[in-house]
Amino acid sequence: MKTKILITSVLLGVIATILTGYLIVGCSSDQGGISQRTEGQSERNVAWSDARQQADSESQSKSVQTLPQISDESKSELEELRTDTGKTATMGDKPIVNDLVRSKRGSVYSRFQAGDREGARGGRGRRGYNSEGVLSSDIPPTSRESNIRYNQQLLIKGLEGRNLVLQRRPSRPSTPDIYSELATVTADEIWIIAKAETGKIIADEDTPGSGAMLAKLSEEEKEIPLPLKHTDVKGQISGYIATVEVTQQFHNPYDEKIEAVYVFPLPQNAAVNEFIMIIGERKIRGIIRERQEAEQIYQEARRQGYVASLLTQERPNIFTQKVANIEPKKQIDVNIKYFSTLAYVDGWYEFIFPMVVGPRFNPPGSTDGVGAVAYGKTGISGQKTEVQYLKPGQRSGHDISVAVDINAGVAIEEISCPSHAVTNSTVTPEKRTVKLNSLDSIPNKDFVLRYKIAGKTVKSALVTHQDKRGGFFTLMLYPPDNLKHLKRAPMEMIFVLDCSGSMSGKPIAKARDAITRALKQLQPGDTFQVIRFSNNASQLGPNPVPATPENIRMGLSYVESLEGGGGTMMIEGIKAALDFPHDPQRFRLVSFMTDGYIGNETEILAEVYNRLGDSRIFSFGVGSSVNRYLLDRLAKLGRGAVAYIGLDESAGEIIDLFYERISHPALTNVTIDWGGLKVTDVYPAKVPDLFVGRPIILTGRFEGERNSTIRITGRVGNLDQEIVIPFNPGDSGDTHGGIACVWARKKIETLASQATYDNNSELPEQIKQVALEYGLMSAYTAFIAVDSSRQTAGEHGVTVNVPVPVPYGVRYDTTVQE
Amino acid sequence: MRTIVIILITLSLIVPVPAQQADRYETSVQQKVRFAQLHIYLDSGNQALAAYQFELKATAGQIKIVGIENGEHPAFKEEPPYYDPAAMANDRIIIAAFSTDKNLPKGRTRIASIQLQIIGDAEPEYALELTVAADANGNEIPAKITYEKGEQK
Repeated sequence: MKTKILITSVLLGVIATILTGYLIVGCSSDQGGISQRTEGQSERNVAWSDARQQADSESQSKSVQTLPQISDESKSELEELRTDTGKTATMGDKPIVNDLVRSKRGSVYSRFQAGDREGARGGRGRRGYNSEGVLSSDIPPTSRESNIRYNQQLLIKGLEGRNLVLQRRPSRPSTPDIYSELATVTADEIWIIAKAETGKIIADEDTPGSGAMLAKLSEEEKEIPLPLKHTDVKGQISGYIATVEVTQQFHNPYDEKIEAVYVFPLPQNAAVNEFIMIIGERKIRGIIRERQEAEQIYQEARRQGYVASLLTQERPNIFTQKVANIEPKKQIDVNIKYFSTLAYVDGWYEFIFPMVVGPRFNPPGSTDGVGAVAYGKTGISGQKTEVQYLKPGQRSGHDISVAVDINAGVAIEEISCPSHAVTNSTVTPEKRTVKLNSLDSIPNKDFVLRYKIAGKTVKSALVTHQDKRGGFFTLMLYPPDNLKHLKRAPMEMIFVLDCSGSMSGKPIAKARDAITRALKQLQPGDTFQVIRFSNNASQLGPNPVPATPENIRMGLSYVESLEGGGGTMMIEGIKAALDFPHDPQRFRLVSFMTDGYIGNETEILAEVYNRLGDSRIFSFGVGSSVNRYLLDRLAKLGRGAVAYIGLDESAGEIIDLFYERISHPALTNVTIDWGGLKVTDVYPAKVPDLFVGRPIILTGRFEGERNSTIRITGRVGNLDQEIVIPFNPGDSGDTHGGIACVWARKKIETLASQATYDNNSELPEQIKQVALEYGLMSAYTAFIAVDSSRQTAGEHGVTVNVPVPVPYGVRYDTTVQE
Repeated sequence: MRTIVIILITLSLIVPVPAQQADRYETSVQQKVRFAQLHIYLDSGNQALAAYQFELKATAGQIKIVGIENGEHPAFKEEPPYYDPAAMANDRIIIAAFSTDKNLPKGRTRIASIQLQIIGDAEPEYALELTVAADANGNEIPAKITYEKGEQK
């Protein structure tokens, strides 16, 4: 009997074990398949590794071990090298099509502040600028203007039938060689050096995912029916604050119920504070909740057959939209609203709307990254977030429309959209409406819109908002004009080039151009190093070498030999760039040239924080849809600056601007006297130094209604400098309802940045509380909307991931896991 | 005794699986969860309604707000009402809206439909407190707020 019981029990045990394994596999399969993920991850890493090994060995074999010191005789030769940049071919700007398209949208800025009785009685408005502006005279003349004046442009028909512009550059005047002020630079705010200009409707058959797909479908191209039909973007810009509404139209083209999942980008500084699900005429406002709670509500609603939508944040610039129980042939729209501040460089404001998430590389063993997989290959990356990409020859019906109303408050002198074809209509001298041309509606690159205001003046730099929570402000500080007359210190330039697979082709060619240009502009007394990384890192030599003509030639040769392929082990590049002793005689400047397509941003940023020392980091984003979150954060942590180099833009011009910036000292030791105001919670907490062409935005809270005067003081060289700004919180002309959200978003960003290197377990809770209180998206909060009016019939249906094209200029075969 | 031990060991192999499943559907297994609507009406009599603010409480039962739907009148249809996130973070539901339309509703009108998740078997009871109703000039007007439980379709 005992034997029988024993056998029965053992059999039961075996069955249970099998059942357990079966159920676990079943569960994991439902979520993507654990075993498959591991295998897929491994396979991918092997593929990246194999592709890279050859290039690595080639590059290493060309490394220079020891190089001689510079001599005085070499200086003239160096100057010759520096000026040997005579002709640079670039994509010419296509003319903006003028079309008197009248905006149908009014200026709907009034927002009711829920819980604000005053607001309930009419809303609190905001509008434009007043006529005050002490800072107006502090804006420097633009370097871009200078460059344009230098260039004699000759329009020709060039390669691939494109219009090219040959720019004949005159020799640059030699730059003064001592910039002692830069050696003591401290800053914790980024500065945008220049902006990317990506191509407009460029049909390039060699580039998967390029604009070729939108021009005309070839016979081989197949349109795949997908649930995301259209994205509509409406922006309203007032001064330097943008209010943007993004509407995603989901439609079920299938015969059965589906859940749509779409991973998409938004600007890294977007303060997402509204979410509305639209079903016909019914509009359901989503509720901000703790992320886990929102996910549970969504899963329950999905399971029970209710139409529901969930918005989560995977990175500050990557979001996931899920819409459950979309019935066959039905449409559900999702409307997202956010505020963001615009970058301001050399008199130009810049509005960016990213359209596609670039394919990321995730280091082996990571699971919290962003996987890049082929359409239909759900789960094979093994990453928590996954983006599916269309193959070359495939296209979806998803297109995008963009309309931006600009109210500059002062006359707009010029509008430029280097990335796309647009129509531009003038409403008044201060107002413009810009619309994306319908022929340029494939969402595969960042939309970049710039506008230049008249003269050198900005009417107002201070914007406030007051409600029951108190007062909030943003203050844009402009650098003094007289910084341009001083000199820089000798530098130790470290160039770090991303040679991974996603950079292969146009991006790495553009990055090589940029480094080449930079090497040629080094000054006597400077030293330099070139580091490349993909699966591992290698470099020109063991230590930085003097900028002699001979060394520069070797550097140029080394750079020319670098090709793209393999993984993106950026951590290796960071170690190589920051882990060697600092030359105390020189200002160390580390330039990262990368598309930033990695999934382990937090790890990278933590490493930079821990290893930075006295170095400054200048990050250069190369490509059409780069990871701006990573590049901006690198520059902020590195107390440097960021610049973006478009694939059809002159890298030389960007580098020239970069050198223009670092060739002048900053306004240092900046202090602010707030007068009679009680000001708290200012971000950034430490006011950064002010560089030429680089304004910074401060945001904070204040108490009190009375007018006051803000005095900003600092030193430029041996001179004291003072900037005076009147503070009139009651002036309705300088108010904006989004300021509170901008402040809260900045606080979240600051806490999140701290969390990358600080193990304080209270930081996530602090972020969550701020996000909940201000109704903002964060890593710890999410928007949920459920239509409780009816249950749809049947099971919750199949999950359909919305695939996207790879960004313009990025190769599918070297970046997407199949 | 030995049999019991063996069976217990066997069961221990099985238990983790349903336990894991239970984690995934914790709320549905431990507490019944359902979704329902609550329609909110405001009667401003002969006065045109331009703005309002109210607070919703559950006096019985456990609820979570999972959406706020727009009203029925064109003046309150374009945008769904707003909620106060700071209040929501402290378990208070404060909802408000305003309209700048010339055509404003008078009399009884559905101003919002609240989408709710109801947790547990208890049928919730609700209490509404109208903070303010106002006309187009921002003047407070008398109004009565009521609710109706939505029917499941």
